[in-house]
Amino acid sequence: MDTSSPAVFVNAEILKMYLGRRVRAVIQVIRNDAGVIVGQSTDGNQITVKGAQAFPPSHFVEVIGIADGSQSIRAEICTDFGQSFDMAAYNGLCQLANGKFKNLFL
Amino acid sequence: MPTPATQIAGDPLSPAKNRGSQGALPLTAKQIAAADQSGDDKSALSGVDVTNVRLLGLVMNKVERVTDCSFTLDDGTGRIDINRWINEAPDANEVTAIQNGIYVKVHGHLKGFHSKRHAFAFSVRPVTDFNEVVLHFIECIFVHTEIKKIRGGGSAEIPTNLTVASSFPNGAKEYRAPSHQFSAYVAMDGPGNNIYNIVWGVFQEPANLGRENGLHVDEIVRKLGIPKNTVINAINYLVDVGHIYSTVDEHHFKSAYNG
Repeated sequence: MDTSSPAVFVNAEILKMYLGRRVRAVIQVIRNDAGVIVGQSTDGNQITVKGAQAFPPSHFVEVIGIADGSQSIRAEICTDFGQSFDMAAYNGLCQLANGKFKNLFL
Repeated sequence: MPTPATQIAGDPLSPAKNRGSQGALPLTAKQIAAADQSGDDKSALSGVDVTNVRLLGLVMNKVERVTDCSFTLDDGTGRIDINRWINEAPDANEVTAIQNGIYVKVHGHLKGFHSKRHAFAFSVRPVTDFNEVVLHFIECIFVHTEIKKIRGGGSAEIPTNLTVASSFPNGAKEYRAPSHQFSAYVAMDGPGNNIYNIVWGVFQEPANLGRENGLHVDEIVRKLGIPKNTVINAINYLVDVGHIYSTVDEHHFKSAYNG
């Protein structure tokens, strides 16, 4: 068992509270700009992802990495979640996992 | 989900009795680790003795051998080692499908203690619909709150399902339906006030739990003095959510709990 480096569920708002920490977020790809993905977070804001390969626009991508800015993540692992994903449910999970039920996750 | 078997298994008087019949509880790696750290297997899991678990996460460090396959599962809250024995050809196919970096859902049996904690998997399935990732963690939260409620531990700090629903500011309407559905669980804790809880309460009376054929619809109508249609609606609902089932004919129903 190793719980030393958890990845916190975040949306754009919660991302700001975890600068320098390991986070996980799902974004919907808007565009790929020379190695940087620009996407929409589950709470409707813009997030940039560095160090990831390109993904097709409109795809949902889960990014696990380090929060290196208030709207930016340096990616370690990216998973293509396809074209059908419930962003509202994920956003609700972000709030629960950082609120009342934080002790189940961190 | 917390099944009746889970509740019985949680009974300190019969810790091993129902080990085999217990369902697989959805858990995060953090929950398992927290239970270990406290030195008390049961604390973080609210007093339930857990052996079978359902985990979901990313595969790392996969090692495949002739007889078995092992890997580390990272669910974002922590990492736990998983072992899958290869006994037959289908097992080998399942193991081949496990690749580093993919999401898998693991049903398994918890073994060992503390830092040596690991799980023997019964099944390892790649996740194809990624809404399952969200679903898994929501189930972990749901089961956590339900177990606490059933055990009667810390009910003051546990939100009702309606509170959970209201945590979704934009989706409160969509989530209201399921939260209403769970209201029958609330009835197990004490007197409820809606028709489902009242009818459910009749089925839960000890004298009625012991009856082999359960209760006839008319008996409930007579006992409660409410219209038959209302009772039938409530019964249909309770059947749908799995709290009662029909027995000898379509007029007799029995509680699915403890009977």
